[in-house]
Amino acid sequence: MNWKLFFALIAPFAFISAGTCQPTPAPEQTESVLLLGGTAHLGTGDALENAAIGFRDGKIDYVGFARSVDRARYDEIIEVKGQHIYPGFIAPNSTLGLQEIGAVRATRDDAEVGTFKPHVRSVIAFNTDSEVTPTVRTNGVLMGQITPRGGTISGTSCIVHFDGWNWEDAALKTVDGIHLNWPSTHHRHRQDGTIDIRKRKTYDQQYQEILHFFEEAKAYQAYERAPATSPRDLRMDAMRGIFDGSLRLFVHAQDVRQITEAVHFKRQMGIEHLVIVGGYDAPLVADLLRDNEVPVMLKRLHTLPRFAEDDVDMPYRLPKLLEDEGVLYCLQNAGDMEHMGTRNLPFYAGTAHAYGLTYEQAVQSVTLSAARILGVDSFCGSLETGKDATLFISEGDALDMRTNYLTEAFIQGRSIDLDNRQRQLYRKYQTKYGAPILD
Amino acid sequence: MSETMNGLNYSRISKRLLIATMVFLALTDPVKAQETFPVNGTVNKQLLRIAFEHATVHVSASETLEDATVVIYRGRIEAVGPSAIVSIKEPAVRHDMTGLHLYPSFVDVHQSYAMPKAQREEWSRGPQYLSDKKGAFGWNEAIRPETSAAMEFDPSGSGKSRTSLQKAGFGAVLTHVQDGIVRGTGALVALSEDPRKALLIPDVSTHFSFRKGTSSQDYPRSLMGATALLKQTHFDADWYADASRLNERLESNLSLEAFNAQRDLPAFFEAGGWEDALRAANVSAAVDRSEPFVIVAGNNVYQRLEEVKATGALLVLSVNHPKPFDVSDPHLSRLIGLDELKHWELAPSNAARVHQAGISFAITSDGLQKPTELRKAVQVCIGHGLPENVALAALTEIPAKMLRAQDRIGALRTGMEANILVMDGPVFHADAQLMEHWIQGKQHIYVDRNALDIRGDYDVTLEDEVLSLSVEGEADAPRGYFMLDSTKINVKVNQDGRTLTLGFQLDTLGFDGWWRATGNAWMDSRIWEGKGQRADGTWFDWSAIRQEADESGALEEVAIALEPDSVVGKVIWPFTAYGNEERPKAQTVWFENATIWTCEEEGVLEAADLVLHNGEILAFGIGLDPSSVFGVNPPEYETIDARGKHITPGIIDEHTHIAATRGINEGTQASSAEVSIETAVNSEDVNIYRQLAGGVTTAQILHGSANPIGGQSAIIKFRWGSSPEELLFDEAPSFIKFALGENVKQSNWGNDYRSRFPQTRMGVEQVYYDHFYRAREYEQAWKEYEKMVRNASRRARRSNLIVAAPRRDLELETLAQILRSDRFVTCHSYRQDEINMLMHVADSMGFTINTFTHILEGYKVADKMAEHGAGGSSFSDWWAYKYEVKDAIPYNGAVLHGQGIVTAFNSDDAEMARRLNQEAAKAVKYGGVSEIEALKFVTLNPAKLLRIDHLVGSIAVGKHADVVVWDEHPLSIYARAEQTYVDGVRYFDLDADGEKRDWMRSERARLTQAMKAGGASGGSAEGPPRTPTEKLRTHYHCETLTDENR
Repeated sequence: MNWKLFFALIAPFAFISAGTCQPTPAPEQTESVLLLGGTAHLGTGDALENAAIGFRDGKIDYVGFARSVDRARYDEIIEVKGQHIYPGFIAPNSTLGLQEIGAVRATRDDAEVGTFKPHVRSVIAFNTDSEVTPTVRTNGVLMGQITPRGGTISGTSCIVHFDGWNWEDAALKTVDGIHLNWPSTHHRHRQDGTIDIRKRKTYDQQYQEILHFFEEAKAYQAYERAPATSPRDLRMDAMRGIFDGSLRLFVHAQDVRQITEAVHFKRQMGIEHLVIVGGYDAPLVADLLRDNEVPVMLKRLHTLPRFAEDDVDMPYRLPKLLEDEGVLYCLQNAGDMEHMGTRNLPFYAGTAHAYGLTYEQAVQSVTLSAARILGVDSFCGSLETGKDATLFISEGDALDMRTNYLTEAFIQGRSIDLDNRQRQLYRKYQTKYGAPILD
Repeated sequence: MSETMNGLNYSRISKRLLIATMVFLALTDPVKAQETFPVNGTVNKQLLRIAFEHATVHVSASETLEDATVVIYRGRIEAVGPSAIVSIKEPAVRHDMTGLHLYPSFVDVHQSYAMPKAQREEWSRGPQYLSDKKGAFGWNEAIRPETSAAMEFDPSGSGKSRTSLQKAGFGAVLTHVQDGIVRGTGALVALSEDPRKALLIPDVSTHFSFRKGTSSQDYPRSLMGATALLKQTHFDADWYADASRLNERLESNLSLEAFNAQRDLPAFFEAGGWEDALRAANVSAAVDRSEPFVIVAGNNVYQRLEEVKATGALLVLSVNHPKPFDVSDPHLSRLIGLDELKHWELAPSNAARVHQAGISFAITSDGLQKPTELRKAVQVCIGHGLPENVALAALTEIPAKMLRAQDRIGALRTGMEANILVMDGPVFHADAQLMEHWIQGKQHIYVDRNALDIRGDYDVTLEDEVLSLSVEGEADAPRGYFMLDSTKINVKVNQDGRTLTLGFQLDTLGFDGWWRATGNAWMDSRIWEGKGQRADGTWFDWSAIRQEADESGALEEVAIALEPDSVVGKVIWPFTAYGNEERPKAQTVWFENATIWTCEEEGVLEAADLVLHNGEILAFGIGLDPSSVFGVNPPEYETIDARGKHITPGIIDEHTHIAATRGINEGTQASSAEVSIETAVNSEDVNIYRQLAGGVTTAQILHGSANPIGGQSAIIKFRWGSSPEELLFDEAPSFIKFALGENVKQSNWGNDYRSRFPQTRMGVEQVYYDHFYRAREYEQAWKEYEKMVRNASRRARRSNLIVAAPRRDLELETLAQILRSDRFVTCHSYRQDEINMLMHVADSMGFTINTFTHILEGYKVADKMAEHGAGGSSFSDWWAYKYEVKDAIPYNGAVLHGQGIVTAFNSDDAEMARRLNQEAAKAVKYGGVSEIEALKFVTLNPAKLLRIDHLVGSIAVGKHADVVVWDEHPLSIYARAEQTYVDGVRYFDLDADGEKRDWMRSERARLTQAMKAGGASGGSAEGPPRTPTEKLRTHYHCETLTDENR
C-alpha cells in the first residue's frame, strides 16, 4: 500500500472530522500473509535478496527466496519488490509507556521512591494508550524492554510489543530482569563553572550495601521451602530469579571501574546472567566481558564523547569496537528525552553502520542481539521460521532517516495501524492550508 | 561587613580600638606611640639611626651598589650610597653587612591581608531580586564601591599571615576586600603590627572582578550578567555625577558616590586567567575608563599571549605552578585533560613568556599555598627563562609604580619606607637565605647573622694525635665525624653559642670508652680549644684548627641550578584537546569532479569543480579552466580529487549553547536585554571541533529561555583555535533571544519560584508591552536631550549649564535597537497562542519578529507567521518533554516550509549539532520536503534567518569559503564529513584528525613520563600529587539554569 498516495487522495475527505485518537489495536491474524520480493534483513546477520517471508497465526512459517515459495499456501500476497523487510526493532532499557510528558510529574511513572526496590514492576504501569508509542512504531520499533529508573535497584523490567489493549496484551514477558544502578566511583564537584568528579568517599559503603542485599536475598532463597503462611519479604521474593537464572541482572554502568566491579560481583554472587547497560568503557575491558559472557546494551550512540580527548567519533564507534572483540552487544536509547526519542533507534543502528559495522550487523544490533541479551530470542528478534511475525516493511533503508518509511508493520502477524497523533495533526493542518499531504 | 560609614560599626571599631590601645600602652615600648597620642611614661625621641655598612645594595632591580651603606631613621631610609661617601649622623647603630645583600622588600598587590573574611549569607529559599543591604546604597550587593580597605584594615588578628608574608619577603601589600564585582578601594599597608604606622596609603586603588562573591542576590547569575552590571554601573555613575552637578538628582546613592570618588585611582581587575583578562579589557574599552584595568591574570597568559598583549594592560601574574597529577593508574589518568597536563608543564614558563612578549607585569604570591613558597616559585620561573632582574622588578618597583607609590616603596632610596631584605646571597639563588627583614625600620631576624657557623673541616689535636674532623649538616644542627683512614667515626657535636661539646668513641686508637670534650670556638670558629674528660674521669686538653674551605664547588652548583630547563611541549590553540601547534591558514583549493550541492539556483551539480581562494569561493562549475579562473598569474593551489564526494555549504546552526562559559541564562529578571553572550564566548570548547567534524561552520550562541526578554546572542564562525574575539562573525547583525511559555513562567522551577512577574502567558504579553514602551520613551528622552544640546547656546554648553543627559541604560538601549530594527529577535516559542501574541506585539510596535526558534506549534499558525514575515528555526522531531510540546510534530518543518516560511532546523544541543545534516533529512522523511530544500534547512535558511545569507549558506562565487566535503549523500546517516573549511581554512580533515589523535596520545605519554620523573620540567613537585578529577563542562540547553559566577 502506498501510504503517501493513499493519504493524498483521501485525507481531505476522511480525516477532517475524524479528530485525533490513538490507533486501535489490530485484530488477530486470521489470514496467512506472504511478503514477496524485496530484501529481507533477517536480523541474524544475513540478508536475502528477492525474498519471501510468510507468516500465519502470528508466526513466521516461511523464510526464503521468492522464486521458491509456494504462493498458493497464502491467503494474502503483498508485493514488496524494491522494499526492505526487517524484524521489528527492539528498544531495550526504555521508559516508553512509563512517562508521557517529561516535565509533568503526574504523567511520570518511571521512578519509584526508595533505594532497593526489586519488587517494583514496570509492566503494570506500561500505558498502552500512550500517545508516544505509536510515533515510535511508525519508524519500525515494535518491541521494547520497559525499564524503571532510580534508586540502586530500580525494579524489574518487562518485555512488551507495542500493540495491545492493555499491558497484559502487550506483555511478552512480565518480568525479565532486575536493574541495578552501579554506584559511581567518583562524585561530582562543581567549581568555577566546571564540574569535577572526585573519588567518591561513600563508594565502599554503597558497595557493601549492595553486597549485603544480595547476600540476604540469597540466604532468603532457602526460605522458599517454608510454609506458605510464613511472613514474606516482597523485596527478597522478587530477587529469587536472579539466583535461579530465570531473571537477568542488568547493571547500569559506564565507567571501566564500575564495569569491572560488576563483573566481579557476578562471579562472587554466582549470578548467571549479567548484562551491562551503558558500557561506554566496555571496549577497555572487552576480554573480561567476553570471558565472563557478559553482554552490553550500549549507551545511546548519539551522545557526546566522555572526555575532550576521546575520539570525535565516539561513541558512534562503540559497536564496531565491541564487534571486533567478540562481545555481544545491542543498542538502546536511555538518556535525555528517552521515551520520545525511541523512534530514532533505527538511526543509531545506521550510525553504527556508518562507523564500522556491516549493514547486517547493524540490523542485528537492534534485533536479534537485543533479543538474545533480553533472553527472548527463542521467539522473536529475527526473521526465522517459528518466531513471532513481528516485522515491518520499509520503502527504503530503514536505518537511514532519509529512506526510513514504513508501509506495513505486523506484530505477531497482526497488521498494525501506522497512524499516530502527529500524523493526524499534520493532516489536519495541511488540510487547513489546503496543502498537499506528503506522508 | 562593609558599612564602615555607619555609626554602629564605628562603635564596634572604637571599642576594639580602646581595648587594643589599652593593651598597647600597657605592654609596648613607647617608641611606637603616635605623634597625636598622649604619652604614658617617658618619651622616646627616636634619636637613633641605623646604618648598614659595606653591603651589596640593590637600590632597585636595575641598580646595584657594591660596598654601600644604607641609613635608616625613624622607619624611613635617610641615605643610600657608597660606604666611602655616606656620612652617618650620630647617634647611630652600625651593622657591618659585609658579604650580605640588601634588597627593597617585595610588594604584593593582590592580597586580602587584615581584611574581614567575606562570608556568604545563609542560603534562603526562593529568589532575591534586590539587595538586602540596609541604607542608602545601590541595588546590587555585588557592587560595593563603598567598601574601603583602609576602614576595614585591622592587622590585630592577622599575625600569622603577616609573619608568613614578611618571611616571604613582602614589606608592604595592597590589600582589599576580595568580594564582589566592584569591590571598593584597596589600601597600601606595610606589614607592621601597628595599624597607624602600617597604613601607608588608604584608598590607593580600586578593585574589580566578574565574580559576584558573597552576594545573596540572584542577579547576576552569569558571567555575561556580571559584565553587563559592571558596564551599567559605570553609566549609572556617570549619570549620577552629572545629575548631582546640575542639581537634578532626586535620590542619593552612596555606592555611586563612592564609585565616582574612586574614578581616578589605579584599578585592579581580578581576572584569574587570560579569558577574563580579555573580557575585562573589553569592558574597560566599552565604558571608556580613564584608568584602564591592571589585570590580575593568573598563570595561563602564555596560552593567548598576543591577544593579552594587544590589550595593552599591565598584568599581575601568579606563580602557583601546578602540582603534578597522580598518574599511577592509567585508567584514572584518562580523567586528566591534555590541557591540564600541558598546563602543568608550561605554567612555570608563563612569566618568562609574558616578559618575552614585552608585557610589563608584577608578581603576586596569591594562589601559593603559603606565601613563603614565593622565592622558590620565582626561582622556577627563572629556571624557565625569566631574567632575575625582571623577577625582582615584578616584586618591587613595578607593583610600586602600579600604585603610584614608587616614592614610598619598591626601592631603596632616600625618603622611602625602610623595608629592606637582608640576604646572604643574590635573592633568587637557590641557597641564598633571607637573614633579616626590616620593615619600617623594625628588624625581623630569621638567621642570626652573627651566629657562629662551625661547619667545616678541622684538624683536631687530641692526646698527641691529629685527627680529621668534618662538621656538616644544618647550621643549627651540625653533625660531625672523624675520618680515620677511610672509616667514619661519628662525633656528637653540640653547639650552644660559642660553647661546643663533642662526644666520641675512638677505641681503634686505644682510647677506651666514651670520651667527652667541651670547649670554645674562637676567631669565627677558626680555632677551637678546651678540656675533655676520658672514660675514666681523667681530664685532657684538646684543640682544633679549621681547614680553609674551597667554595668554588658551591658556586658551580648554583650556576647549574639556574640553567633554564628545556620545555619540550608547545602551546596549542585552543588550549585543549585537538588544538593546533600552528594556526592553520587559508588555502587555495581546487576540488575536481565533485557532486556540488549549491543551495542556489544551480541545484546539484554533478562532476563539477569548486575553487576556494583567499577565504572565498572563487569559482565553481563544470569543466572549469585554471586560466579563466585565476587569470594569467595562477597562485599555488592544491588539487583534490573529489570524485564520488559531495560538497555542500557549511552547516549553520541557528540555535546552540556551546562555546559559552559561566552561564547561558541570566534569567534572574524578566528582562536581561543588557547581557550578551558575546562577553562570555569560550573559544576553548572542544565541541567546536567535534561539530566541525559534523560539518558545522557557523552558529548562533543564544541566551537561554528563562525569561521573556533574554540576552544578546553571539554569532560565531568555527575558526578553531582563534580567540573569543576572532570567533565572532563580524559582519553578522545583532540578535537577541526572547522566550515564551513554560520556562519564562517558571512553570517547572518548583514552588519557590512563584513570585516573579510573569507567571502566566497573560503576564508575558504585558512584560513585552511594558518594556517596549519604556524603550520607546527612553529613545525619545535621548532625542530630546540631544536636540536640546544642539540648540543650547554656546555659552550654556561651554559652562555645562544644560540638563543632565538621560541615564544610559543598556537594557533599554538594546530594546530600542529592536524597535529600530537594528537588532533582531529570535524567540523561543512553542504554543501557537503566544506566538500569535508576540507577532501582535511586534506589529503594534512596528518591527518584525525575525525568527521563532523551536516554534513547535508553528505549523498551526504558519499562515500568520508568513503574513508577519517571521522565519522558523525548529527541532526536527523533539516533543513530549514539556506540556507545551504535546502537540509538537516532526512535520512542523515541512508545513512551515510549505507555507513559504524560511525554515531551519537547529540543534540546541551539542551532540545533535554534530549531525544536523541528518536532522535535515528528517524533513524529507516527515512531510516529503525535497532533498535540495531539506539541505537548505541547515545551510541557506539559517543563513537567511541570521541575515548573513549574502556571505554564507550556499555555494556562490564571492561567498565565504565555508564548505564541507562528504563521503556520501549529505542527507544520509552514513555521510561523514571528510573536510570542513571555514574562510578557506581546513579546520577539520579526517586524515589530520587521525594524526591529532596519535599526537595527543604521544604528547600525553611524554607528559606522563615527565610527571613520573618528578616534575623536572614542569611545575612544583612539592606536596601530595593531585588526584585526577573529571572535568565536565556543563552541557547547556536553553533551560540550563546555573549560578556559575561566584
